[in-house]
Amino acid sequence: MNRLSKLPTLRIDPAQEISLNYDGKTCRGVAGDTVATALYASGVRIFSRSLKYHRPRGLYSLDGECSNTCMQVNGIPNVRSENTLLSNGMTVKAQNVKGTPEKDMMGFMDRLDWAMPAGFYYRMMHKPAKIWPIALKQVRKAAGLGKISPEFQMKGKYDEIYPKADVCVIGGGPAGLSAALAAGERGLRVILLESRPWLGGFFDYRPAEYDNSIHLFERARELAELVEQVPTVRVFSHTSVVGAYNNNLITAFQVGGESDFFDERYIEIRAQSVVVATGCIERPLLFENNERPGIMQIGCAHRLARTYGLLPGENAVFSIGHDLGIEAALDLSSLGLKISQVADIREDGQDPALVAGLAAKKIPFLRGWVANTAHGDARLNKVTLSTIQGTHQRDVDCDLLVASAGMTPVTGALSLAQAQLAYDNHTGFFLPLKLPDKTHAAGRLLGLDDPLAIEASGHLAGLLAAADCDPDVSADLKPAREQLDDLPGPVRGCKLVQAPVKGRKTFICFDEDTTLKNVAQALEMGFDATELIKRFTAAGTGPGQGGIPGHNLPLFVAQYHGEGGGLAKPTTVRAPMVPTFIATYAGTNHDMFKCTPLHDYQMESGGVMRRIGVWKRARYFSHDFSCREEIENVRKNVGMLDASTLGKFRIWGPDALKALQRVYAGDMSKISDGKIKYAAMCNEDGCIIDDGVVVKRGENEYYFTTSSGRAGSTVEWFRFHSRYDGWNYHMVNLTDALGVINLAGPNARKVLEQLVDGDISNQAFPFTGYREFKIRDTIAVRIMRLGFVGELSYELHAPASYMQSLWELVAQAGKKFDIQNFGLEAQNVLRMEKGHIIIGSESEQRTTLHDVGLGFLWDRKKAAAKTVGAVALKQTEKQAGRFKLVGFKMENASRTPKDGSLIVDSSIKGYVCIARFSFGLKESIGLALVDASLAAEGTRLQIYEDECEGRHLYAAVTALPFYDPEGKRLRE
Amino acid sequence: MAFTITCPICGKRNGYEFRYGGVDKGPRPDEEELTPADWCDYVHMNACVAGVQEEWWFHRDGCGGWFTIHRDTTANLEVEKPEVNQ
Repeated sequence: MNRLSKLPTLRIDPAQEISLNYDGKTCRGVAGDTVATALYASGVRIFSRSLKYHRPRGLYSLDGECSNTCMQVNGIPNVRSENTLLSNGMTVKAQNVKGTPEKDMMGFMDRLDWAMPAGFYYRMMHKPAKIWPIALKQVRKAAGLGKISPEFQMKGKYDEIYPKADVCVIGGGPAGLSAALAAGERGLRVILLESRPWLGGFFDYRPAEYDNSIHLFERARELAELVEQVPTVRVFSHTSVVGAYNNNLITAFQVGGESDFFDERYIEIRAQSVVVATGCIERPLLFENNERPGIMQIGCAHRLARTYGLLPGENAVFSIGHDLGIEAALDLSSLGLKISQVADIREDGQDPALVAGLAAKKIPFLRGWVANTAHGDARLNKVTLSTIQGTHQRDVDCDLLVASAGMTPVTGALSLAQAQLAYDNHTGFFLPLKLPDKTHAAGRLLGLDDPLAIEASGHLAGLLAAADCDPDVSADLKPAREQLDDLPGPVRGCKLVQAPVKGRKTFICFDEDTTLKNVAQALEMGFDATELIKRFTAAGTGPGQGGIPGHNLPLFVAQYHGEGGGLAKPTTVRAPMVPTFIATYAGTNHDMFKCTPLHDYQMESGGVMRRIGVWKRARYFSHDFSCREEIENVRKNVGMLDASTLGKFRIWGPDALKALQRVYAGDMSKISDGKIKYAAMCNEDGCIIDDGVVVKRGENEYYFTTSSGRAGSTVEWFRFHSRYDGWNYHMVNLTDALGVINLAGPNARKVLEQLVDGDISNQAFPFTGYREFKIRDTIAVRIMRLGFVGELSYELHAPASYMQSLWELVAQAGKKFDIQNFGLEAQNVLRMEKGHIIIGSESEQRTTLHDVGLGFLWDRKKAAAKTVGAVALKQTEKQAGRFKLVGFKMENASRTPKDGSLIVDSSIKGYVCIARFSFGLKESIGLALVDASLAAEGTRLQIYEDECEGRHLYAAVTALPFYDPEGKRLRE
Repeated sequence: MAFTITCPICGKRNGYEFRYGGVDKGPRPDEEELTPADWCDYVHMNACVAGVQEEWWFHRDGCGGWFTIHRDTTANLEVEKPEVNQ
């Protein structure tokens, strides 16, 4: 198709050809084309078939307001082809067709509309109930437009940025540009968001006069250049706003250009104040067959020619309700379009110059007439016009019908920001009645039409937004208001809601194929509120995000009730306002985790790392994940484990002890010198949330440990539970500052004595002792003798920067004993054999200290400390019906149940926390939480393992610990 | 949370930087004569005010301080402390 290649308004470069593959054939477009305009230039007129009736659909808004032009592009379904720039080698396919869009085998559905009244699937397909699963399957196949496979992999790079601004302007048309200039020229930081790839809005493509010297499109480029020169204004073009939230939080996404490193980028802006200048779209004209290919809105027809150089047809009729329609007719006529008739819904009020223009071109002009019925099977070939009352009619042949009821404001961003909208009788618009704090509206969306008034309105809104940030700006407001008042105000709008038709094939929503007849059916069934009708008929719930039913729906409903517009309200708008890839919301998946200083050493030694919380830690040092060798080495020799992720804290100050007493269940005033105190923290329900060790290093000076998982929230916890007290204490989180090596096994002392500068005999350094030493006169270590794995064991705490050296020294000292690494799985089995719990494994949200047999960690005599959890511990001490921690031994030693298996009798009575085969005891053993009624030693437990198909396993409750019940080995 | 919160130390920041710490219910009541039902109410029951309430917030991604604000639960916005009506 030939292009109008010399127009100054073009946004394409006809010299640069780009090819695409459409349904197996090569088509050609040019740089700047969208996928839709490139296809149109290649002769495509039918782009898809509609959802329910499979009616042919084509270009209508040229802005993606409906799913007519949703197509599959490069494997991605539902791409809005009118908004997607063409790039080389794109593969495009039509959607929702069986065959081709021109010859769709499902086209017969259009004749079955009588069988599909409003909400038919709610009412018909479930009587009798057994047909519903069949109907469901078929309806699912037919519902939806695009196709996607569960294996689909989204390609591309998705970025995210979070800029802050003083003023955020939504909309880069004349009003938005004026607002950005007003605020930016006063030094404020402005972010301007525009959804088209260029600035200029609805001035951009129009050759009509701006003033005596320049045309509108020149003014658009002039304003854009002025804005781009202001250093404090940041412009994001090709960026659509998707959400607006409290305190002016705006979310948007930007489509990446050729030179950008991202395909799409999520933008989240916190602004002090916001200007909404999103302009207007056209209100669709409602008449019979109002969505035939060949029927276009004014902007679509005009921009096809002026922006993309494509004449929208050969023989046109116009049925419009706004001067923009007459302006477009005159311009398109001068570009070569034959126009047979211009019908204006309005009886009067047209710009006389425009009417005179039609007369000069001898284009017949009718006032008070409207399109009534469009004809043509697949494409338009004729239109029946009638008076708006329906009293007279005439047929006119045409292949293009430019149809538009008038303008309607784009109020989406205002609705999302929770502005109240009310119907205005003069403009026929829903105008903002009450805007949230520091949010301003400007431009065409207020009903203004005059170019200078639109700019002045933007200028004023920009100043108001600036004044929200800088009160000095208030001085400039008065002249700006006066300037706006001197210019023409909002124009009278066309109020016609529908042509005088019955509406059987008058589509109020193109996406969901909802007709006026369907809406009337819903109303007659008692769905009187617009929101109910929307859901019952599905009008406005399609990919177009309500762009077509828009304000027509509430206006139609109001008319039905005989209310006029007064009580009508637009339906609630929700984010995202524009279809957005999930990948854009997800952003780049950064795989982040923390490593200990010994990470590399562990890996080099054969450590198999796993994620635990935010960390990566060595779980196994064997190919055999039962870790038999690691376990036996700790029991018989000596092993070393990296425990650096342990939470570690310093707490000090005159009230440090008070804070410890508040948070720990035990009596912290009874910590002896040189001894550790094993302690637990509970929540207000008495449930155990953490356990660790506390050491007193001096007067008002303590060092304590927590589990790795709780390290991040410990300081927060202390501060929360002392928030009313005003105590004087300080805390430092030393978790990352110190590393820990656990040396465990009967030969542990023999290894350690080669390293430290002191007496570590059992008398000098007994079990539960705490000592501080220097290793090689340099490395200060704090050493604790604990018993988690049930052997002679030392925990060495040293500064993180020395950890690698310490590791080397320990490995060297252990060489003659053939010291081995052991990982978390081995540690897990070792501690299980001792009946020692891990929070989250042998406890869950409902488990109290008493339930796991640690009630002795609670000191009931310190009521004055108001310890967190003490009240509940007292109240649940003798409570019946609780789960208790028990040890169990399987009847069949060769069959170990999976962790988490249920313990059952007539109902679920508990679960297996951990179960393993013990190489030392040659039994399958484990720990479980069971109902108190099953907790007695010797009780037979019945275990239900996932997918066991009724074959239960059996175990007996045994005393804890399984290994070394007297704890001799710990105390060696 | 999308709304902004004013931290007494750091100033007005994005709501996402904070963690919610519950409605202010005052310090823990005395243990004497406290029944399990009373205790459960103190810990778990909330007044569910449709209006302004005083509540605790923790500046997790900032200074780490605990403080209270007043929030209008119907608009989900931080508000000034309301005047006391006698």
